[in-house]
Amino acid sequence: MPMIKRDEIPPGTLYLLILKTLSLHGPLHGYEMANSIQQSSENILQVEEGSLYPALQRMLIKGWVTAEWGVTAGNRRARYYKLTAAGRKQLQTELSQFGRVFGAINRVIQMA
Amino acid sequence: MHFDEFVRRVTMLVRGKRFQGDLDEEMRLHRELREEHYAASGMSSQAARSAAHRSFGNAVSIREASYGAWGWNWLESLTQDVRYGARSMFRSPGLTLVALLSLALGIGANTAIFSFIDAVLLRSLPVKDPARLVVLGDGDEMGITDRYGSTTLYSYPFFRQMQQKNAVFSNLAAVYSYSMDIHGTLNGNGEMQAMKVQLVSGSYFQTLGIRTAMGRAITEDDDSSEGDHPVAVISYAWWKRALGGDTNVLGRKIKLGTSTFQIVGVTPPEFFGTRVGEAPEVWIPMSMMESIPPGLNGYKDNFAQSMHIMGRLKPDVTREKATADVNLLYQQITRAFPDVKLIPRNVESLSKTHVVLTPMTRGLSSLRRSFSAPLEVLMAATALVLLIACANIANLLLARSTARAREFAVRQALGARRIRIVRQLLTESLMLALGGGAAGIGLAAVADRLLLHMVSRGSEVLPLDVSINTRLLLFTFAVTVATAVFFGIIPAVRGTQVKLTNALKDGRGSAGGGNSRSTLGKCLIIAQVAISLVLMVGAILFVRTLVNLTKLDTGFNREGVLRLEVDSNVTGLPESDPRMVLMFQEIERRVSALPGVRAASFASFVFAQGSWNTAVNVPGMTMNEKIDVKHNTIGNGYFATMQIPLVAGRIFGPQDTATSHKVAIISERMAKELFPAGVNPIGRHYFTGYDPIPNTDVEVVGIVKDVKFGDLQEDPEYIDYIPNPQRPWGYGSFAVRFDGNFNTLSNAVQQTIHSVNRDLPISGVTTLDEQVSRTMTNQRVVAQLSTFFGLLAVFLSCIGIYGLMSYMVSRRTNEIGIRIAIGATRGNVSWLIMSDIVLLVTIGIAVGIPVSIAGSRLVANMLYGLPGTDVASLLGAVVTLMLVSTMSGYLPAHQAAHLDPTVALRRE
Repeated sequence: MPMIKRDEIPPGTLYLLILKTLSLHGPLHGYEMANSIQQSSENILQVEEGSLYPALQRMLIKGWVTAEWGVTAGNRRARYYKLTAAGRKQLQTELSQFGRVFGAINRVIQMA
Repeated sequence: MHFDEFVRRVTMLVRGKRFQGDLDEEMRLHRELREEHYAASGMSSQAARSAAHRSFGNAVSIREASYGAWGWNWLESLTQDVRYGARSMFRSPGLTLVALLSLALGIGANTAIFSFIDAVLLRSLPVKDPARLVVLGDGDEMGITDRYGSTTLYSYPFFRQMQQKNAVFSNLAAVYSYSMDIHGTLNGNGEMQAMKVQLVSGSYFQTLGIRTAMGRAITEDDDSSEGDHPVAVISYAWWKRALGGDTNVLGRKIKLGTSTFQIVGVTPPEFFGTRVGEAPEVWIPMSMMESIPPGLNGYKDNFAQSMHIMGRLKPDVTREKATADVNLLYQQITRAFPDVKLIPRNVESLSKTHVVLTPMTRGLSSLRRSFSAPLEVLMAATALVLLIACANIANLLLARSTARAREFAVRQALGARRIRIVRQLLTESLMLALGGGAAGIGLAAVADRLLLHMVSRGSEVLPLDVSINTRLLLFTFAVTVATAVFFGIIPAVRGTQVKLTNALKDGRGSAGGGNSRSTLGKCLIIAQVAISLVLMVGAILFVRTLVNLTKLDTGFNREGVLRLEVDSNVTGLPESDPRMVLMFQEIERRVSALPGVRAASFASFVFAQGSWNTAVNVPGMTMNEKIDVKHNTIGNGYFATMQIPLVAGRIFGPQDTATSHKVAIISERMAKELFPAGVNPIGRHYFTGYDPIPNTDVEVVGIVKDVKFGDLQEDPEYIDYIPNPQRPWGYGSFAVRFDGNFNTLSNAVQQTIHSVNRDLPISGVTTLDEQVSRTMTNQRVVAQLSTFFGLLAVFLSCIGIYGLMSYMVSRRTNEIGIRIAIGATRGNVSWLIMSDIVLLVTIGIAVGIPVSIAGSRLVANMLYGLPGTDVASLLGAVVTLMLVSTMSGYLPAHQAAHLDPTVALRRE
């Protein structure tokens, strides 16, 4: 059992991670998304994998993503999520917001 | 954007099942892939599975959170609650039935009474902007027609002057103070029909803003000159009933007396005139007043005061401003009439006169005065019954929620939020309430019909619209929801307030929640008993009032008298015409000769038919114009028919003719109080009017016993009787004293009347006894309904006591078992339980007594022949309540006393 210590993702950034992942890799199903986030963060960020799904539902309602059933490489049925135009726009919003907040935090903690 | 989102949510709701499947499948795939991944990295399959589950998280809550994302979980849990609630209600059908029934009765009774209150007291007139309408004076039906300074009724010329000179009303209308029941023919066929005719000024419909459903309304043109505008507007209901909804109604003719009127319009269906509960059928312009029987004159009489004047305030005029203007004009107009008599008495009356303007938003009504107090009392009674029903249901649900304490504890321990459980309990009570409310509306619809018949005097149903309307539905809905909240919230909050550990350890033991639950339950019982006492005392008081009135001595013998009305106006002859006088005498003579008839006579008034009164002038006595003497014109056989004893002098006979000297018989009270003390009034003269005008001079020839004249509760009146030949007036009430079968005699009498004149319309055939008891309609309805509500209240309270006691016995089974095991007798055990009940009932009664006393003071003016605080009634109610409620507790006590100790102890 891998015992790498992982950090929980900051609250509110799950949408951002999903949106960014989808914009990078195109349509993905949930498992691929979880893996992709972990790998891209070099196994630092820990997503409680299940929590992807409520988030995805909310994003479906907002119209940021659409879902479609497809077949995996291993020939299994899986639901693939795809970014919509609204989702792309949302990604920009979330990114700039994150940048602002992160920058602000950064400035605060560097005022030693 | 927002709309898209809504569409997506709805789509999701519709495809709920598929959504769940999709989600489950994709989450399963996720875990399987993860598991495979771990397995591939060398874990055992067992370890791989649990690691996959761990990294995925709690699948159930994730599934719920995903589902929750779509925002439909409230609906989901609602359906769940409803389904669950229905199931638990069906599990105890007895309780559910009792709860539903008592709610249905409570809500139904409230709705029924409220629909009357709505129709009589609350609803606005169905006319344009009724809030701007006012009536000059108090709008009372009764008024003084011949006195200066009268502000209720006005003369027609006064109305015309006011209409021209005022600056505060956009329009002003006059309406005759009462509608007349006239017989006439329709369409030239000979059959007489009764119709309610209302005289109105030409401005009436315009002032009210009524657009006719067909044809035109009566206009100012129709009222511009006297006697030459024979037109009529008819009501929608009458058009349907009498004319069968004939589409060619316009131009049809109505013949009243000797005049023929052309129908020019039909009013809209909802319009019933301006007096609630009266509904005229034919409106005729004031200009034709002399052409309709009995031929009213007053179109040009400056001081014949017989009309109400109503006005529509101009938009910017306040009622205060209008009042000032009207009062100024009142003096100017009255004093400027050429025939004004400014003698000191009249000047004094005029100077004291103040005309008030009464809002007419809800129309005029004499019903309002006679019905509002009974309706308010009944509304209060039904509200109290509903409260008792609520308390009962609260108690039953409380008992059930305590029994379910363990279930709730388990659910809370498993993570159900408290609010969720409260919501479920509230859903259940709301379901009960809505069920009860729906049944209540059905019940109310039936009860309204019944009530309308109960309050209508005689065969004619009051023209009141008591059908279910929006306001009523809103009211019922409000009552229902309030009920649900009232009886649902306490058990719900209490039921979830358990100490988890206690409740889990033992559903039955002496947990803290249980005790306070009984305390609350006991308080509810006390309240129920107190309210029941109030209702019972009320019922007893009203029943005794009715009994007192029934037993009351009317002064005449009300048994064995046939009554009917004859409308002699159809002959077209004035009443004073000798042929008319002869016709009445001939009818009296022939009917008296019928077998089984002991006496028969006409009169202007027999009982409770209104009155014609004036002041009288007795030479040698100081005048008091406030004292009115009621005049009754009668036939020679009247006192024999009514069996009113003659005290002194003689009764009328054939010697009293139109040309013989004028005579009168007076009532005992009049003889005692209006004539000089110590002087025998027989042979003395007086004037039947204020002024000593010679042709009103009469000689007293007899004195008779006092009788009830207008209603049962009045004090003895001043009455004088005049023989018909000497002053015919409003003659036509016929009374026949008979032996034998009513129906046979009634037919014979009617045939005899028609043998004298076959055109005479006969109506209102009944008995004198029935006529008397009709005046007690309100008292009877109040007595019957308050008895019903009182019994219902006691019944519901007994169910409550029974429920609570059974519950307490079942909680104390263990204790009782021990008591019996260590030697308590059955009597001891019975008393243990009974003492609880007796204590509760006693406290309830102690609380109820002062409330009852205060309550009976409030309704004092609806009671008759009872002391202010009627101890007997109170005592009766206390004893009954004590007995009945103790009895309802006997069954559980009996059960407890017969517990088998071994069984009881084993139950723990």
